[in-house]
Amino acid sequence: MLAVELKKLSYTYSVKTPFEKRALDNVDLAIEKGEFVGLIGATGSGKSTLIQHLNGLVKVQEGEAMVAGMNASDKKTLKKLRFTVGMVFQYPEYQLFEETVARDVAFGPKNMKLEKEEVDRRVRRAMEVVGLPYEEFAERSPFELSGGEKRRAAIAGVIAMEPEILVLDEPVAGLDPVGRREILALVRKLHEEVSPTVIMVSHYMDDIAEMADRIVALKDGRVVADGSPAEVFGAREKLAAAGLSLPTAARIADKLAARGIVLPRTIVTPVALADALAELKAKRAEKESEDREGEEEKDV
Amino acid sequence: MPQIELINVSYSYRTGEGQSVRALRNVSFSVEKGEFVALAGMNGSGKSTLAKLLNGLFVPSAGDVVIDGMNTRDEERTFDIRRKAGMVFQNPDNQMVATIIEDDVAFGPENLGVPREEMIERVDRALDAVGMQEYRTRSASKLSGGQKQRVAIAGVLAMEPEIIIFDESTSMLDPEGRAEIMDVAKKLNEKGITVIAITHNMDEAAMADRIIVLRKGRKVLDGTPKEVFASPEVEACGLALPPATELARMLSERGFRFDGTVTDEEELVEGICSQSN
Repeated sequence: MLAVELKKLSYTYSVKTPFEKRALDNVDLAIEKGEFVGLIGATGSGKSTLIQHLNGLVKVQEGEAMVAGMNASDKKTLKKLRFTVGMVFQYPEYQLFEETVARDVAFGPKNMKLEKEEVDRRVRRAMEVVGLPYEEFAERSPFELSGGEKRRAAIAGVIAMEPEILVLDEPVAGLDPVGRREILALVRKLHEEVSPTVIMVSHYMDDIAEMADRIVALKDGRVVADGSPAEVFGAREKLAAAGLSLPTAARIADKLAARGIVLPRTIVTPVALADALAELKAKRAEKESEDREGEEEKDV
Repeated sequence: MPQIELINVSYSYRTGEGQSVRALRNVSFSVEKGEFVALAGMNGSGKSTLAKLLNGLFVPSAGDVVIDGMNTRDEERTFDIRRKAGMVFQNPDNQMVATIIEDDVAFGPENLGVPREEMIERVDRALDAVGMQEYRTRSASKLSGGQKQRVAIAGVLAMEPEIIIFDESTSMLDPEGRAEIMDVAKKLNEKGITVIAITHNMDEAAMADRIIVLRKGRKVLDGTPKEVFASPEVEACGLALPPATELARMLSERGFRFDGTVTDEEELVEGICSQSN
């Protein structure tokens, strides 16, 4: 089943002014339910505009956006669409506003007009999932939490709506390495336990290479690459033309290739690189010992 | 005499509920003129508090911060200290005071009462140094985050400081913006400006001559990048090793051998080549 289907989607900002800018240009994109898609592209490539179409934050101008079976231009289902697509914006903790964490997390499900018991159940579950145990955090002020905790509280507010599709825009921006690892592990967990379809926007190619099943790259509002991390990062020329950088492992593999150590272009993670190099080393050692044995036989 | 000297510095603040929090405990170190020092640590380690102590935005609860012989406790010297030690903050959108870029850069020297001719020269030099000359008469609102931060740096440079403190100035930028700012920082350092970079990005810290690591308000490591990354303490401090260092470690587990701690990609590639041919 398709979670997202964009057909010839185009969008222009500031139409008929000197600042007119085509942010999306004929985008065709289908995302299956259950996929983890990494959305990449330089600043200004149209990523934000694209994700804002998914829950009707911007109106469809040209083309069509079908999301979870709903047409994003249909006003009647707009509210339902907003609950079905959970949006975690950049620095979501700036949107915390309630006096307690529990009330902040409850804001979304309350808006869904759910029964009080159901709201409570969802708040508890969301807080547990993000690692802020209800008993300990429910009555605390969100503003007294640490940076990483604040971000998790903000994410809890989104997943309390139990969205089918979760969209995250730069979820680790500004976090220290510990906070970063925690949030990435959480995103993985949310993909498995809460929202089957995840779309993650990130500038960090290393994270995208580790996390996504599929990568969609945008440039000037167009899809310029779409495939597995190995396919997308493997197509070096295309990637460079889109102004995108490589994950660290692929970049190092290229530097090694320039020095005569040629590895597959499909290597995108540090583990894959380390394994490939170890294999190469083992093969060489094997060959050397065979050669040596050959020499010895000749001597006999 | 060192340019920056911290002697047994502690700093406490009160939370909204009246609790006292000790952000820094007995921190001492000194920095010589022209050094490039990274101050690293996870959120809550005290690194940003330390940055604000360096130019007198905060005054220590105990101990002394001395900049070029001037104690930050001495209110009469606050102005001189701030002029000597400029600061670039985290959020690119919060540091603009004027709409046109050259006006923004001129704001500081204008307040100093610098004569017009000299001010034009200063703005010129500052914009050149950060590579933003061609944007001079444009509006700041259309710039990327990295460009905004470069304008903020130009604003600091126009004050002709001897020290620039980057208080997590790259953390809200995309990778290109980060690279732009680190590049500018390195160039300024080569011209003799002392650079203090507050960061939790170890790739950036690896560019410094020296890394000071804070944990829970205490100084736990102080050394060259090689020394610091070789220490088992780094990860206990909530910091990640640079990717090249991490990869070298993975390769070591798979039978590769490296001389000392690998801190950058070139070194890593060199090390792999030397044992693969």
